Amino acid sequence: MKNQLIFSALIAVLVSACKVSDTPPSPYEAGAYIINRGNFSDNNGTISYIPTSSSTAQTDIFNLVNLRPLTGGVQDYAEVDGKGLILVDNSTAGQDKIEIVEVGTFRSLATLAAPDIENPRQILRVGGNKAYVTCWGATGSFANFYPNAGYIAVVSLTSNTVIKRIPVGKGPEQMTLFENEVFVGYTDGTGEKAITVINLATDGLKTPAIDIGTNGNPVGIDANGKLWVYANKEMIRTNPQSKAIEARLKVGTHPSKSPSSIVQSPDKQQFYFVYAFYDAADNYKRKGETYRFKIADASISSTTPFINRLFEGLGVDPKTGNIYAGVVPSYKQAGYVLRYQPDGKLIDSVRAEIAPTKFVFK
Amino acid sequence: MSDDFTVGRCPVFRLFLVGLGCLCLSYPGLAQPFRPVSLSAVTVRGTAPERFLAGQKVQQIDSAMLAQFRFQTLADALAMTTPLALKSYGDGQLATVSFRGTSANHTAVLWNGVNINQPMTGQSDFSTLPVVGFDRLSVQFGASASAVGSDAVGGSVLLGSTPDWRVGVRSSVGIRAGSFQNHQVQGGVRYGLSQKSNWQFAGNTAVYQNQLNNRYGSTQRRGYFLESAETRQRGLIQNLYARNQRSQQLSLTTWLNDNDLVVSPRDMAGRERTRTQAARILATYETDRTTLKIGWLRDVLDYAKGDFDNPSHSRTDQFLARAEREFDWTLNARNARLTFRTGGQWAHYRTQVDGYGGQLITENRQDVYALTRLVAGRWAVSANLRQAFVTRFSPPLTPSLGADFRAVDRARTSLTARASAGRSYRVPTLNERYWRQLGNPGLRPESGLNLEAGLLARFQPNARLLLTADVATYRNRIDDWSYWNPDYGYRVENLQLVVARGFEWAGTATYTTTHWQIGGRLGYAFTRSSQERAYGLYVNDLIGKQLIYVPIHSGTANAFVQYKKTRLTAQMLAVSRRYVTFDNSQFLPGYVLTNLLLEAPFRVGVVRGTVQGQVSNVTDALVLNVKRNALPGRSFSINLNVSF
Repeated sequence: MKNQLIFSALIAVLVSACKVSDTPPSPYEAGAYIINRGNFSDNNGTISYIPTSSSTAQTDIFNLVNLRPLTGGVQDYAEVDGKGLILVDNSTAGQDKIEIVEVGTFRSLATLAAPDIENPRQILRVGGNKAYVTCWGATGSFANFYPNAGYIAVVSLTSNTVIKRIPVGKGPEQMTLFENEVFVGYTDGTGEKAITVINLATDGLKTPAIDIGTNGNPVGIDANGKLWVYANKEMIRTNPQSKAIEARLKVGTHPSKSPSSIVQSPDKQQFYFVYAFYDAADNYKRKGETYRFKIADASISSTTPFINRLFEGLGVDPKTGNIYAGVVPSYKQAGYVLRYQPDGKLIDSVRAEIAPTKFVFK
Repeated sequence: MSDDFTVGRCPVFRLFLVGLGCLCLSYPGLAQPFRPVSLSAVTVRGTAPERFLAGQKVQQIDSAMLAQFRFQTLADALAMTTPLALKSYGDGQLATVSFRGTSANHTAVLWNGVNINQPMTGQSDFSTLPVVGFDRLSVQFGASASAVGSDAVGGSVLLGSTPDWRVGVRSSVGIRAGSFQNHQVQGGVRYGLSQKSNWQFAGNTAVYQNQLNNRYGSTQRRGYFLESAETRQRGLIQNLYARNQRSQQLSLTTWLNDNDLVVSPRDMAGRERTRTQAARILATYETDRTTLKIGWLRDVLDYAKGDFDNPSHSRTDQFLARAEREFDWTLNARNARLTFRTGGQWAHYRTQVDGYGGQLITENRQDVYALTRLVAGRWAVSANLRQAFVTRFSPPLTPSLGADFRAVDRARTSLTARASAGRSYRVPTLNERYWRQLGNPGLRPESGLNLEAGLLARFQPNARLLLTADVATYRNRIDDWSYWNPDYGYRVENLQLVVARGFEWAGTATYTTTHWQIGGRLGYAFTRSSQERAYGLYVNDLIGKQLIYVPIHSGTANAFVQYKKTRLTAQMLAVSRRYVTFDNSQFLPGYVLTNLLLEAPFRVGVVRGTVQGQVSNVTDALVLNVKRNALPGRSFSINLNVSF
């Protein structure tokens, strides 16, 4: 018995010793990164993290481990084969960057700086250790905001460098990956009229582009393998293979409202969106609600809101289908993330940081 | 661009060059010996409102201290010598002030008695006001709308030009070279002339050019950016004075300033240029009892990004006329003296701003006021009243009452107690009223009530040692505080209630021997300023929180050791954290900034001068500005001033 006790104790010591030598568990296992865009000239964007099981967010997780802030607005975040890439947009030209961090700890590994990175907008993993980043290049004055053509920075996570610039149109914004092609859209006011197609094998432009007639951005590939594009108050269903336009659905019927923050459900069967406007009759107060529609719907209705509330950003947890919705009371105070069940029932409200507008799920 | 004035092309500037030429041509006459004419009966009055602000604190920045900042801006001078909190966007970039917990447009900046706040923004960019531009600097604490007018909610910064009546011509040239390829030059001539016909003339002409290239040699510092920005600043000061034995004085004061800031200058697409130009001309006629003043102020602002050829353009002209009359009575046997000063000011504004739609907008602003001061025994009491009238706007009647009481008044010791109460107002800025869509022509006046009390003690135990101490406490409540409301697409509204309260302490000590002088000034300010009204769902997160960019604790220290005329000075500024969000969830960390200056005189033939070496940020402290960029670390400069 005594020997057994000693043996058990020995085993216990060995086991605990083994545990010590294990990698400590990451604090960022199951949950969502919140991209807090920050206030433009304050250069105070951050990333916070909400564990799925908690109603408290861990704030500014980059600063927490690196003891320095991101020094800019945060535009986007994505994880690529064990590395996280944070797109940082500083209010001064030449001070934008991408911070590359270690997934799990957020420890900084490398920084990609200007002039490689100027006004980064969105990041997309396009292959093993490879990511595309849309960049506007330097912007101009209000009257001529996009004086330069934009580009896509091709980032290698093997070397942590920008290995190529793919020149595209002015103001490139959102990207969607389908098979071996990436579809690139453009922001409003740039005069671009087509969705650019990029061949992943060559990192070069491919023709034909998808001519949608106006500025538009790809939103996602649905359950039927169709590419949806949002442009000028319309959802446009296209065939990503033939590049043909199959349907144009007008979003809602309100004369002034327009949709934003369009996101897909995990089953790719429906879209959620915020439908809002600035009410000139009420001192330009921003007003709106959140709606959804199914990909099979013949029209997009705006009669019955899914959530009768205005948000500045939406995200859908692919594991649970829960909807994360960002509230921005102002750009000078912390915002909140409201979490809803897939049926629209409110779960909780989590205090985040300045302008929580995007979500990346683990 | 043809509407703008530039220092080189401006007709006003040419006029003064001509004037200067005439003076120089007449110079040989000045070399003849003139018998000085006694003009001791003349008193200079009129521009300083301090006389009618009994019960309020005024801090004079002495000329020796001011001279140490002669190559720096008003922002640097105020930060190091007063409790005012400066909010800087970077080296040579926008610097605004928070006075006793108020916002940037709650500080009146007066130049020779006239408010020179830029009317579009209702505030002054203290980085565009170089110390070389004025001769006197004092800071008046607390609301003083009744004596000063609009904007004097948190306090006033008073700049003034002083004539030097000495006969002859005195010239001076100063150059400064510093780290980061920064160099500055300034030159001036002061001249005085007496005539047997009782008239005496004085004047000064000065020019300055500052080229701050800010080539830091590095783009980052401890994980923060060192923003690339270049500033070129140049200007002209031209002051002319004449007075006679009948106590009549005429003065013509002019200040032209051109400030050209380019952020990211080497990025041709992303570079940003902000050019601010100001022309200020005042003509004043004064006698013992009457002051007449006319003036023209022009503010031009051009902003461009990338392409500098087509900037967004703003221009505002202000034409003003003021008349004041003073009356005196001796009331009784105890020599009580009552002074009553009444006056009126008319100002006509003409503004053309791209952001207002580009059309010409005009408005008139009139003020009438009555100021009284009663001095009786140990008491000095002021009671003032002002009513302003503004086109399409109704400012409130603003009274104030204050008193000084000399509780102890002995040869070596004095103690003065003071208390005051005053209402304040602020005419909304032109941006707040006229900006397309976001401006609000229906804004109501903000309504402020300032209460304060203080003690000033002076103790001189012997001829060598002098100690002074000043304590002040205040409460300033500002209702209908206007706010660019994010909930309404950033339209400006009378929304908030801000209460600022605080405590200030300042002490000085000077010990003087035949050749040595040791002294210093220590100041501490506790400032608690918060928004107190609930007006929306998420406003609860803001109520009671410290206002952004207002440090709760701040302190300044200034210590010097002087042997004959060689002086070593240490300047220190300590600032606690400054919140950048209304809910106080984010802040810029506190810091201690230290500068060292060594000044020594020299003489070569008829040329006298001083050489001054300065080490800025001696401890290499990390100081963050509003854009969250780092200020540079330790830097050096040397300047040489010669006079002949």
